[in-house]
Amino acid sequence: MVFALILLPVVVGLAMLVVRVENAQASKGVGALVALATFVMAVAARGDEQSVRWLSRPFESSFHFGATSISFWIVLLLAVCTFCAILATNVPRTRQFVAQLLVLEGAMMGVFLARDLLVFALFWDLMLLPVFFVLLGWGAHAPTAWRYFIYNFAGGLTLLLATAAFGALYGSTDVIGRTGVHVVGAWAPWIFWGFAFAFLVKTPVWPLHTWMPLTYADTPGPMVSVVSAVQSKAGLYGFIVICMAFLPDYLKEYAPILIVLGAISLLYGAFASLTQTDVKRVVAYSSLSHLGLIVIAIASFNPLALQGALVYIVAHGLFSAMLFLVLGFVESREETRTLTRLGGIGAANPKLAGALCIAALAALGLPGLAGFVGEIIILIGVFQAGLVWPAILALVAIVLASAYMLRLYQGIMNGPEVADLPVRSDLSWMEGIAVAPLALALVVLGVDPHAVMAFDTSAYNATTSQGVTR
Amino acid sequence: MTQSVTANDWYSVAPLSIVAVAALVVLLADLLAPKSVNRYVAIGLGAAGLIVAGIDAAYAFHSNYAAFGGAFIVGGFSVVFQEIVLAGALGSLILYGAMGDGKRIGGTVALLLWSTSGAMLMAGAGNLMTIFLGLELLSLGLYCLCGLSDRPTAREAALKYLILSSMASGFLVYGMALLFGASGSVALADLTNPMLVSSPLYWCGSGLFFVGIAFKLSLVPFHAWAPDVYEGAPMPVTAYMSVVTKAATIAVLARFIYAAVPSTIAAQLLLPIWVIAAISMIVGNVGMLAQHDLKRLIAYSGIAQVGYILTALAGGTPLGMRYAIYYLAAYTFMNLGAFEVAALLSDEREEGSRLANYRGLGARRPVAAALMTFFLLAMAGLPPTAGFLGKILILTTSVSAGYAWLGVVLIVGTAISLYAYAKVIRAMYARDEHGHAHDARPAVPLAWISAVACCVIVIAMTFYPLTPSNILPLVR
Repeated sequence: MVFALILLPVVVGLAMLVVRVENAQASKGVGALVALATFVMAVAARGDEQSVRWLSRPFESSFHFGATSISFWIVLLLAVCTFCAILATNVPRTRQFVAQLLVLEGAMMGVFLARDLLVFALFWDLMLLPVFFVLLGWGAHAPTAWRYFIYNFAGGLTLLLATAAFGALYGSTDVIGRTGVHVVGAWAPWIFWGFAFAFLVKTPVWPLHTWMPLTYADTPGPMVSVVSAVQSKAGLYGFIVICMAFLPDYLKEYAPILIVLGAISLLYGAFASLTQTDVKRVVAYSSLSHLGLIVIAIASFNPLALQGALVYIVAHGLFSAMLFLVLGFVESREETRTLTRLGGIGAANPKLAGALCIAALAALGLPGLAGFVGEIIILIGVFQAGLVWPAILALVAIVLASAYMLRLYQGIMNGPEVADLPVRSDLSWMEGIAVAPLALALVVLGVDPHAVMAFDTSAYNATTSQGVTR
Repeated sequence: MTQSVTANDWYSVAPLSIVAVAALVVLLADLLAPKSVNRYVAIGLGAAGLIVAGIDAAYAFHSNYAAFGGAFIVGGFSVVFQEIVLAGALGSLILYGAMGDGKRIGGTVALLLWSTSGAMLMAGAGNLMTIFLGLELLSLGLYCLCGLSDRPTAREAALKYLILSSMASGFLVYGMALLFGASGSVALADLTNPMLVSSPLYWCGSGLFFVGIAFKLSLVPFHAWAPDVYEGAPMPVTAYMSVVTKAATIAVLARFIYAAVPSTIAAQLLLPIWVIAAISMIVGNVGMLAQHDLKRLIAYSGIAQVGYILTALAGGTPLGMRYAIYYLAAYTFMNLGAFEVAALLSDEREEGSRLANYRGLGARRPVAAALMTFFLLAMAGLPPTAGFLGKILILTTSVSAGYAWLGVVLIVGTAISLYAYAKVIRAMYARDEHGHAHDARPAVPLAWISAVACCVIVIAMTFYPLTPSNILPLVR
């Protein structure tokens, strides 16, 4: 079942690239069906594990996949986001675009399901390709595609080097999800930084974030919703399942650096977000800020903060996907993303305004929606861990979040109607279906986060408590 | 050591004899066959000879036999390299079939086959004489092949190759003479004598030998000839040089590194080679950035890829040798695949190697563009290709053999190379359609089939990473 989760989207996606039947609706239909099937399989695959031996020398490695623990929730998030993104697709050359979305889904399934470091690294590189091709084919500026690819591939290479060193030292890379695998020795700090560099670039964290605003602004809405919701979580996921599990001593040792970087991202992202005029860049910088908070949570070595991080990973995925989808709708209607050119759309498009409102409120942390739950748990955990200053800085950033999210919402929806903006119809039913699952999930998770919380940290509790007592 | 030549000795050189005889058969058939089918007869017979030789060679995989008093050593090592050489030769032959212009090519095919038999001799060479014999047999054929084209650049390339390659041979043979002077024997096995360490002749001889080999492998700083010659030569010959020549020379170098260096001084004696490999990885990959021709791009890429292969050999571990061979095989099929796709884009007037012609290819010929993208990404080492797995295997051995710095250089080189490869990919998928629609003949089934076959092999090698286990001992 877990193999099918990866193979189905990839195979269908590649087939769609080759079979040249130009029918936008049919392409979307096939894509949505595949994404739906993947979602159903993902739900059914909970706890499933499968393994096929790949290498026995120079270290053991297997195509080992498992939908357990934290992976399961991120995989569900990925399946939902891809489904929504495909329904929301509204770009020229729909067939190729949907195909790339499916390949991206399959590749990221591989990243989050992999139970083997080498397989993880393999899919890590693979998941860059669809985004690169979409940026080349649909983006406005070619340099953006380069920047995305070079930055992330550089990360992928240090990941590869770290994996090779890990394999040479430990003799096996089939370790993700196992407990009691600790790497120590002269090489271990290098291995740690090899992994950490890749994860920091992918998340991204200041000062490695410069590829991110450009990429998020240039990629069409549906794809960027998946990238921001799920792909950016690959780094955080890596910190939790690799650095925290196998290199806890070094994560502990270098935690101050990560906390400082996280805090800078948190504030820098929030202030930068306040001044952006491109609506997608507003959300891009807000992402930098929110993910900085999660980095702090992971580096704080507190079980509660870690649980909060897991909730917030899912919550951020949901609301950033929704934000980017809705901003994509706005862009396709008004043909501009400039905040100063937009205004007063809400009166004529109440459903569009409502969708943006829910997403923005979730992003600024309104109680009752998922974002709040994650933030508050992280803050309590970070405070418990004795990190008072980061917690205070996080509070500042959360206040700023209200400012930039309301600025975004009001700039687009409220105010006097701008005369020369084209007046277009409200959300179509298809677009409505595309954002409804995300909104629903935000509310459900906001009211009852126990499903995600109740579970999860068990595998890492050992290492985290060990870290605390040391 | 006087020893009579036995039947077994002759059996052990049967594969290369088959190739050499096939060349004669091709020449004969070329005379007799009618003009209309002549081309296919020549290529078909040549391919048949290569395949039969490949099957025959495979039988010797589990043997370990020193024929002709140690001059030619048959075993897993020689067989694996011979198979790679044969695969490369077959790919070049198919390129001739895919992009020729209807002239008689019997002579060309015969030269290619004779060259190949020289390369096969190098794969099993157990003493310095055989190495030189094989190398010259390989090179003499190539000098002619380089010039066998109507384009003036081909003649320039042939002359350049002749002069520089002869100079390299000079270095090589001078080094061999000094080694012989030091050890009193031409056998590689006698070079392991620890007494040699004190002989200055030995050090000078080894140095000159390495210079000669580095010339042939076009390693930095002896690489300047490669881009020009690759660009000027006809495409099948370029493919041949980039695969077969390198494979055969690496066979010689690997055997020398593993079996003919006194173990006490191996680390010092071989250090310059690793340094050269590191420089090659950087210079080769940087050199790729400015190229406008696929053949030049592949010349520079080849410089770097040989650096990767040498990285695997650093440290002299048996596993390192296996991964070097694995990567060499992967490199062979990636390169051949890229050339097969380029052949699809060729026509009578022009070879499909100018990168300007690749602009907008993704829209015009999506499958060809996808295949080319695949091969370029494989060279860059992206998954799911053998290039990815090969790199991680090489990284692991270099780390565990204590040459982590080479691994780091490999990573840096790969990052640079990606930019160069991705530039071509970007040109293929860029939306602007300014590129003149220079389109090729509609279908060349042979090139299609072989490009797809290369693609399948490169993927299959990732998931079934067979590396030859029976490659040691190399010398008796």
